[in-house]
Amino acid sequence: MIQLSKNYSLPERAAEFIPIKIISVGGAGLNALDRIVLDGLERAEVVAINTDVQSLASSVAAHKVQLGRSVTRGLGAGGDPELGYQAAVESADEIREALADARMIFVCAGLGGGTGSGAAPYVAQLAHEAGALVVAFATLPFSFEGKRRNAQAREALTRLNEVANGVICFENDKMGDIVAPQAGIHQAFATADITISQSVRSVVNLIQRPGLIRIGFDDLLAALRSPNGRCLFGFGESDSDNRAHEALTQALKNPLMDRGRMLADAARVLVQVAGGPGMTLSEVEILMQELGRHISEQTQILFGAAVDGRLGDRLSVTIVSSLRADEDFISQQSQPTQSSAPAMPPVWEQPHEISPEIEIESEPMPMEVFQPAEMTPFKESAPSETVPPPRVEPIPAFNKPEPIVSTPHKKPAPIKEEKPSAEKSAQAKQEVLQFEPVTRGRFEKSEPTIVEGEDLDVPTYLRKKIKVK
Amino acid sequence: MASNNLMIGLEIGTSKICVVVGESRPDGTVKILGVGQTPSRGVRKGEIVDFETAMKCVHEAVVDAEQKSDVMIRSVYVAIAGSHLKSFNNRGCVMLPEDRDEIDEQDVEDVKINAREVSIPAQNAFLHSIIQHYHVDGQNGVLNPIGMLGQKLEADFHIIHGLRTRIQNTIRCVKELPLDVEDVVFGGLASAQVILTQHQKDLGALVIDIGGGTTDYILYADGAVKQSGCIAIGGDHITNDISMGLRIPMARSEKLKIEEGSCVLGNCFPGEMILLKDDSGFAGKEIERETLNTIIHLRLQETFELLKRRLEKEPFINYLGAGICITGGCSLLNGIDHLATEIFEMPAHVAHAQTTSGVTSAVENPQFSTAIGLIKYAQAVQTDRPPRGIGRIFGKFFSGRR
Ligand SMILES: Nc1ncnc2c1ncn2[C@@H]1O[C@H](COP(=O)(O)OP(=O)(O)OP(=O)(O)O)[C@@H](O)[C@H]1O
Ligand SMILES: Nc1nc2c(ncn2[C@@H]2O[C@H](COP(=O)(O)OP(=O)(O)O)[C@@H](O)[C@H]2O)c(=O)[nH]1
Ligand SMILES: [Mg+2]
Ligand SMILES: [Mg+2]
Repeated sequence: MIQLSKNYSLPERAAEFIPIKIISVGGAGLNALDRIVLDGLERAEVVAINTDVQSLASSVAAHKVQLGRSVTRGLGAGGDPELGYQAAVESADEIREALADARMIFVCAGLGGGTGSGAAPYVAQLAHEAGALVVAFATLPFSFEGKRRNAQAREALTRLNEVANGVICFENDKMGDIVAPQAGIHQAFATADITISQSVRSVVNLIQRPGLIRIGFDDLLAALRSPNGRCLFGFGESDSDNRAHEALTQALKNPLMDRGRMLADAARVLVQVAGGPGMTLSEVEILMQELGRHISEQTQILFGAAVDGRLGDRLSVTIVSSLRADEDFISQQSQPTQSSAPAMPPVWEQPHEISPEIEIESEPMPMEVFQPAEMTPFKESAPSETVPPPRVEPIPAFNKPEPIVSTPHKKPAPIKEEKPSAEKSAQAKQEVLQFEPVTRGRFEKSEPTIVEGEDLDVPTYLRKKIKVK
Repeated sequence: MASNNLMIGLEIGTSKICVVVGESRPDGTVKILGVGQTPSRGVRKGEIVDFETAMKCVHEAVVDAEQKSDVMIRSVYVAIAGSHLKSFNNRGCVMLPEDRDEIDEQDVEDVKINAREVSIPAQNAFLHSIIQHYHVDGQNGVLNPIGMLGQKLEADFHIIHGLRTRIQNTIRCVKELPLDVEDVVFGGLASAQVILTQHQKDLGALVIDIGGGTTDYILYADGAVKQSGCIAIGGDHITNDISMGLRIPMARSEKLKIEEGSCVLGNCFPGEMILLKDDSGFAGKEIERETLNTIIHLRLQETFELLKRRLEKEPFINYLGAGICITGGCSLLNGIDHLATEIFEMPAHVAHAQTTSGVTSAVENPQFSTAIGLIKYAQAVQTDRPPRGIGRIFGKFFSGRR
């Protein structure tokens, strides 16, 4: 057996790390960020951005930006993306400051409410203008949250797709088969937070791990690039005797992977295998062979391997891929609710205008990355139209040339200021009743307990701003 | 059945619905014949929010009580809670006619009516008018004025009122089962009947019933009810705080609170952890014990402080010779008596019903204080006055000193 590490692993020096910032926007974003930080995050900075000061105050992030001091006055955006957007515009300078000096920016938001939906695309745009590579992590609301939230989320997702280099989109409905709305919305969101946290942290690791075979930005973007598609993500870790098999099985079990079934249809799959110094080549081989049974012959594998001392005896597998928007997603999108809000034409109606924007110009960076051959698929609009590149076998992949990193230089699509038409707002009013503010949890159906001007349904430790944990 | 000495108490609580069947003994004691119980659904903060579901649960609890007590239940005393309940003290006054100077029963009735001739919001209804003291021609502290000589009869009452529709909602839920409603009683008042002795009421005492959805309180000074109310904060808030703070589902938070929770701080080893057992993806999650206790402590501390501020608007809190009795399910939280003692700066202890005979061990639990208290309340009312018809639910009087 070949001991990979002894020969190839590089000492981990801070200078090698890419400056990554994780910017969370809105209530859901902040909750997910707390989870990320609590679960342990290294090699990335975090920033919390929100209109709601109460939620900001309770965030564990060290760097916080309050949006819309005069537009929203410390209160939330009240579920209105227009307000969220205006608040962000008001605080543009502070956002720019928070974004500065990052090469890669992850924008995290729960879409559907006001701040996340309205401000996140704008934050992504500013991040892009600052010259960073932007990947958005976004959640779409549970269907029980009502049509209005879902419509707002779809609209925001469309905008994110326009300004970000990649979007990892989580459909709350699909995130856990265990969490039904009856199980309590807190549990549902807590489960979602865990999944988001795991994804963000493993993507950070994906990029920051000094690779034997390094995964680059472009590998990641290539794997994610299916405009408006569904992101497939899986992560597994094991330290058992059969750790390669177990880690992969676990990764495929991830709800965002639909138990591995969906991988079969993916055009590109990014896989990173990481382990401590004890990781062997044969383990990697076994793992890749096993993965081969879940994907088609046509699927292109973007492979990376890394040795990470922090893993000890553990071996981890991260899988990122995406699927093209499927038929029912499209038909769902063209329902009347959507067409009554025509300001932002859905992407699939004009794939040829959109896809060139996704193209990334290469520019050398003081870093490594990818194979030029894998760059071309950026021009395609749908996987069916591609001529699939030859499948990369795991072993040859080890001979991949030293990667080069590219930075995008596309012009972001301007965020349109959209005044809701009378007809639309009437509809919105009707549908706002379908979903109570998400933070009310157990007290959803009851009258809020407001005493001396304070909402006592909000946990005491939050209102007293006492950090627990 | 229809035995006059059978009394049934029903509490539609936020966490559980409880039906107690009691029998009044000639010697004045109460025998508990059976307790029916079912977890509550469709109730939040002491009020019904999902009518159909709550009704089903009440039905289940009633059937359970019937089976356990072997009694057919026809009519019940029902406890009422909810933050819409308000209270105040008011004095009524009647002048006797020139040609008469002996106070009779009619004068006593009149003065009560007069005391209630104050404006409460139009959408509200009287729940209780509880006599505190009579005054005859300016003489204070008269307990029974009937037969006394005087020209002017005054009476101080503690009046509890609440939103008519909310109270009716509870009544309707019971009547549709169908069961008759003998009376509706503020939950805190019912609890106090089993928690406090007459002696404690005379010395002055505060009862705090912390249930799942509400904190009901009632303060006695000088033998009479002086302050009462309901704050819509309860064990659910603690559980919800834990769920959010530790990011664990509600059901697990509830279990954690009951099995491990405490409101005492600084009592754990530094870094002492609680291991959550595996259950759908939350395998081996560890929770710091001090964190859990801090979350609980903060909520209860805040609730007690809020209650203290409320009570301090009047002077009575300074006359509590018997201190504080805490009851309701949340009183089972470790250290709650110490916390209350610290905040109110007077002795506080946990209390539950004890006086009854029958299935005692089962009911010696602070969660049953309200339901058993209803029986005691019923007993007192029934011995106090001749059997009365239904239909006096609103605008009724409470003549004795409870
Ligand atoms: N051993 C325990 N330790 C801590 N809390 C407890 C314990 N047992 C029960 N509880 C809590 O007590 C509450 C239920 O109390 P109780 O049965 O008095 O309420 P309820 O009458 O249903 O509600 P309410 O009167 O507020 O409408 C729940 O929040 C429960 O978590
Ligand atoms: N993962 C997660 N999602 C949440 C949480 N709270 C809300 N969401 C989702 O995020 C959407 C936006 O809500 P929120 O972030 O509170 O609104 P905003 O602050 O106005 O952007 C909601 O429709 C939910 O689908 C949470 O705690 N965790
Ligand atoms: Mg109760
Ligand atoms: Mg109660």
